Amino acid sequence: MANPDILYSIRNLTVEYQTRHGVVKGVDDVSLDIRRGEILGLVGESGSGKSTLGKAMMRLRNGSARITAGELWFDGQDLMKLSERQMRDLRGSRLGMVFQDPMTSLNPVQRIVEHLAETMLTHEPEWTEEEARERAENLVERLGIRRERVKDYPHQMSGGMRQRVMIALALALNCDLVIADEPTTSLDVIVEAKFLDLLKELRDEFNLTILLITHNIGVVAEVADRVAVMYAAKLAEIGNVNDVFEKPLHPYTEGLLKSVPNIELDSGALYKMQGSPPDLSSPPSGCRFHPRCPYMMEEVCPVYEPPFERPEGASEDCRVACWLHHPHPQKVAIGA
Amino acid sequence: MSPLAIIFLIIGIPALIGLAYIFVRGSAGLRRYILTRIGLLIPMVFILASLVFFVMRVLPGDPVRSSLGPKGSAETVARMREQLGLDDPLIVQYGNFLVDIVTLDFGNSLTGGRRPIVDEMSERFPATLELVIPAAAFALAIGIIGGTLAAARRKRPLDYALRLYSVAIYSIPVFWLGLMGQLVFGVRLGWTPIAGRIDPVIGTTLERTTNILWLDAIISGNWPALWSSLSHLVLPVVTLGLILSGVFLRLTRVNVIETLQMDYIGAARARGIRERIVIGGHALKNAIIPVITLLGLQVAILLAGAVLTETVFSWPGMGQYLVQRISSRDYTAVQSVITMFAMLVALISLAVDIIYSLVDPRVRY
Amino acid sequence: MNLPLQEQETPVPQWEEELAKVGFVRRLLRARKWYGADWWFVAISSVMVLGFIVVALFPQWFAPYGPHEQDGPRFLAPGDQPDLPLLIVRADSGFTSLEDLATGPDSEVSRPPIAVVRGAPTAGSLREQAALIDDELQDADTGMRLRPNIQRFDTVEEVLQSVQDGESFAAVMSSVQFEEVADQFPDLEAPTDISGGVASAGDFTLGTNQIGQDVLSRLIWGTRIALIIGFSSSLVALFLGVPLGLVAGYAGGKVDRIMTVFMDSLYAFPGLILAIAITAVLGPSVLNVIIAIAVLYIPTYYRIVRGQTLSVKQEVYVEAARSIGAKAGTILRRYIYPNVIPSVSIIFSVNIADAIITGAGLSFLGLGLPPSTADWGIDIARGQEFIQNAWWLVTFPGLAIMLVVLAFTMLGEGLTEILNPKLRDR
Repeated sequence: MANPDILYSIRNLTVEYQTRHGVVKGVDDVSLDIRRGEILGLVGESGSGKSTLGKAMMRLRNGSARITAGELWFDGQDLMKLSERQMRDLRGSRLGMVFQDPMTSLNPVQRIVEHLAETMLTHEPEWTEEEARERAENLVERLGIRRERVKDYPHQMSGGMRQRVMIALALALNCDLVIADEPTTSLDVIVEAKFLDLLKELRDEFNLTILLITHNIGVVAEVADRVAVMYAAKLAEIGNVNDVFEKPLHPYTEGLLKSVPNIELDSGALYKMQGSPPDLSSPPSGCRFHPRCPYMMEEVCPVYEPPFERPEGASEDCRVACWLHHPHPQKVAIGA
Repeated sequence: MSPLAIIFLIIGIPALIGLAYIFVRGSAGLRRYILTRIGLLIPMVFILASLVFFVMRVLPGDPVRSSLGPKGSAETVARMREQLGLDDPLIVQYGNFLVDIVTLDFGNSLTGGRRPIVDEMSERFPATLELVIPAAAFALAIGIIGGTLAAARRKRPLDYALRLYSVAIYSIPVFWLGLMGQLVFGVRLGWTPIAGRIDPVIGTTLERTTNILWLDAIISGNWPALWSSLSHLVLPVVTLGLILSGVFLRLTRVNVIETLQMDYIGAARARGIRERIVIGGHALKNAIIPVITLLGLQVAILLAGAVLTETVFSWPGMGQYLVQRISSRDYTAVQSVITMFAMLVALISLAVDIIYSLVDPRVRY
Repeated sequence: MNLPLQEQETPVPQWEEELAKVGFVRRLLRARKWYGADWWFVAISSVMVLGFIVVALFPQWFAPYGPHEQDGPRFLAPGDQPDLPLLIVRADSGFTSLEDLATGPDSEVSRPPIAVVRGAPTAGSLREQAALIDDELQDADTGMRLRPNIQRFDTVEEVLQSVQDGESFAAVMSSVQFEEVADQFPDLEAPTDISGGVASAGDFTLGTNQIGQDVLSRLIWGTRIALIIGFSSSLVALFLGVPLGLVAGYAGGKVDRIMTVFMDSLYAFPGLILAIAITAVLGPSVLNVIIAIAVLYIPTYYRIVRGQTLSVKQEVYVEAARSIGAKAGTILRRYIYPNVIPSVSIIFSVNIADAIITGAGLSFLGLGLPPSTADWGIDIARGQEFIQNAWWLVTFPGLAIMLVVLAFTMLGEGLTEILNPKLRDR
C-alpha cells in the first residue's frame, strides 16, 4: 500500500445496485493498481462495469449503486474511510473526471469561465474572482482555445472544444488523477486524434495520471501504456499495451482484437464473437465468458471461476483470469 | 385620465423600452422568436373573441328579451335589437364586432345605468391587478422553494409531505378556502377585515388616481388608507396564492428532479461543488426555465381563481363584474369582459415568452 | 479446492421481459415493492375513489334522509340535539305519556290542566298533538277524550312550579328549557316527548341548514351530481379530444397547424370563465354544465395525444411498418394507440378532479345547475350569508369537495410517478 509509484490502488472492489430483478453486481471483486504518470486504458463492452468502476473510484452518486466491499487507496489514503465532505474536497482538486458527452456535461446556462472559476473558487476560496478568471483564460489557451471564447456558453462551441473544456476543468486545480469516461465516443475521428494527442502532451508536461475508460480498443492502442480488459463486472486481463495487443492472453481480448476491421487482412468476412454479454443479474456459472469462449474446457470453465493471476513465464505486469493459462486446471477439476 | 389608461402607461412604457432593447441588442434568432410570439398573439385574441361572439349569437336565447325581462314591450325589444344591430346578417355583425375590438369600443352596458363599459372596466381592472399580481408572486415563491426542497429530499418524508400539500391545496376550492379564512381570521379572531378593498370611511378620504389603492395612498401620503388597503389585501391574496402554490410546487419539483438527472449535475458533483450549490445554482437555474414557460398557462388558473376570490371577498374587480353582469343578463358587458380577458391572457403569454427568451441563453444567442 | 456449483439459468433477453409486461395492470400490482410509498399513494386513493363511486351510485344506503326533506329544526349545530317538546310530570304521578292524561266520563277532571310557557311554540305542538290523540280516541269509541286545559305562565320556573304543586297535571316545554332548570325541581321528570317517543333526538350528525335539511344527507346526495359532472364531462372531452389529437398528430401539415392554434387558444384561456360564458348562454341544467366543462378539457387531451402521436410517428418501427404498406388505421391502432393509453388515463383521473372543482365553482356562483339540485357548491353559496352563526353549512360541503378532488388527484399523481419512466431512478 505504501508503494509510492502507485497513485491509486483498488482492492477487491464490489459495487452493487438495485434493479427490478434484484441486486446486481456492477463491479465484482476487482483489484487494480494505477501507476503515477501512466495512461491506463480500461476496455470493455457496454455493461461490463467499466463506467461503474470509474464513478465508484470517486465515490460519486450513481443511481442506486453502492460500494459494498473493497478498499480504494488514493495516494496512501483509504477513500472509503473519508467523509462526504472530505471526498468533495478531493473531487475536482486532486481527482478529476472527464465525461463522455461534453454537450450534456456542461451546464447550458453557465458560461465556460463560470464553470472554471466556480471549480477553482470552491477549492481555493482565498483566490479572488479576477484571479480565477485569469487562470481560466490561461488554461483554455494552453489547451488550444482562444482566450475570448471563455465567455461563451457551451452551445456556442464545437464538440472538440467542449471536450477540451472538460479537460480544462479537470486540470483547473492540477488534479493528480484524471478519469476519462469514454471521452472520445461522441467525437469524430479527426477531432478524436487531436484529443488523444493532447492527452499525451498533458501526461508528459504535467505528469498527469490518466485512467482512460473506453470500448474502443483503437483509442487504447494509440495512447495507453497499459491496458486492462473488463468483462461482466470482472477483470479479464491486464498488461503492457504492446504485450496485450501482440499476444492477447484472454480469449475475450483475442476476440475483441479480431473484431477490429483491419484493412491489411485479406479475409473478406468480419469476425464476430458469438453470443452476447451476459445478464448481470444472473451471470453464467464458473468463468463468465465460458458460453462464448471458443477454447472452453468442459470440466473446468463452466464450474469454477478462474483466479486473476500472472501466468507462468509472463512479464511482471501481466495478469489474466483464464483457465487456459493456469498451470493445473485439471487438478482443479478433480478438486485437489 | 382614466385609471385604465394610467395602468397601461405604467406597464406599457417599460415593456416597449424592454422590447426595443431586445430588438437592438439581441441576436437574429431572438428577434425572430419574439416576432413569432407576437404573431401568434393576434390570432389567439381573435379566435377567442370570435368564439365568444358566436357563442353569444348562435346559441338559443334572445339576450335583449331576457335582459329587459317581462317589462319590455315588443316595440322596446325591437328598437333595442335594431340599435344593437342584432337583426343584421351574421357576417355584418361579425365585421362590426371585429372593428369594435380593434378600436376598443365596447359599447354600453345593457342594464344598470347604460354606462360605457370601458369606464366600468377601467375602474375594476386595477382592482383585479392589485389582487392577482401579489397572489402570483406569493404562489411562485412558495412553489419554487417548496418544489426545490421536495426534489432535493426526494423519496424522503419531506418530499411526500410537500407533495401531499401540493395535491391537497389544489383540491381545496378557492372560494371555500376564502370563506374559511374569513371565518377564522375575520370573524373568530378578528385579525383581518373580511370584505371589500378598503374601509369605507377611510376610502372616502383617498384620492384615486391609478385606482390601485395602496399606490394611491402612497402617492397622496394617506397612511391610514395605506394600512387599510393593505390589510384588506392580505386575506384574498393569501387565499388565491396558496391555491396556486400547489401547482407551482408540483411543476418545480418535477422539473428539478428531471434536471438533477442531467449529466452536468453529475459532472459538477465530480468537481466537488457543494450539494447546496449544485441544487440551488445549477439545477434550479435550469429547472426554472420550463417553469417560467408554464407560468403563462397558469395565468388562466389565476384569473379563474380571481373570479371566485373576488366574489367571496366582495372585491370589486373584473371577475366580480363578470358574474354580476351575467346575473343581470347584460350580454354586451359579458362579451366585452371576456374579450378583455382574452387580450389579457394573450398579453401575459407574450410577456412570459419574452422573459423566457431573456433567461435562456440558448435562445438569446 | 471445492468451489460451489453455481446454477446456470438461461438468461432471458431484457427486451423480451419488457414486452411481456406491457399490460400495465400487471405492472401496477407487481410494482408495490419497487415503488414504495408511491404505490400507497395510488392504493389509498383508488380505495377512496371507489368508495365515492359507491356512495354516488347508492346514496340512499348511506344518507339518513333524502336530499330535499326538511325534517329537522333550522340551524341545528352539529352534535346538538334538536329541541323536542317534552312532557313533564311529577315522578309520583304515574303518567308516562300524553295519552295517560286522557279523561273519561267518570274522571274527576274532564279537562286536565297542562302548563306551558306563554308564547312558546311548544303550546302549538301540544295543541296539535292533543288534537291528534283526541281524534284517535274518538274513533276508538271508548268514551275517553283528551281536551287539555292549557295554562299559560310567564316563566319556565312558574310552569314547573305549578306541576310540582299539583295545580297542573303536566307541563310541556322544550327539552333545552327543561334541562336548564331541571335541578331545581327534583320531583319532576320527563318520560317522553309529547308524541310518545322516548326523549331522544332525530339524528342530525352534521347539523341542519336554514330550511331544516340534514347537512350530512345533502353531502351524501351531493356526491352523485359531483361525480356525474366529473365523469361525464371528462368522458366527453376524452372522446372528442383524443381522436382529434390522433388525427392532428398523424396527418400533420395544415390540418394540424390550424387545429393546434385553435386548441392552444382555448387551452390558454381561463377555464372557469369560458364555462361561465357557456352556461350563461345555454341556461341552467346538468347537461349544459357537462358540455361547458367538457369543452374546457378537450384541448388537454388533444395536446397530449397529439404530442405522443408525433413522437411515436417518428419511431423507426412505424416507418418500417409504413414501408411495408401498413394502412394508417392499422398503424394508429397497433402502435400509436397503446402508447397513448397510459398518459390518457392519468389525465382522465386528474381531469375528473378538475371538472368537479370547476363545477363546484360554477354552482357556487349560481350558474349552471338548477337551484333545486342537491349540490355542494350550491350549499356553500346558500350558506355563505349565515357563516357567522352557522359555520357548518359552509365547512362540510367544502370538505366534501376537497376529499373527492383530493382522491382523484392523488390517483392521477401516483399513477404519473409509477408510469412515467423519466422520473424513475436509473
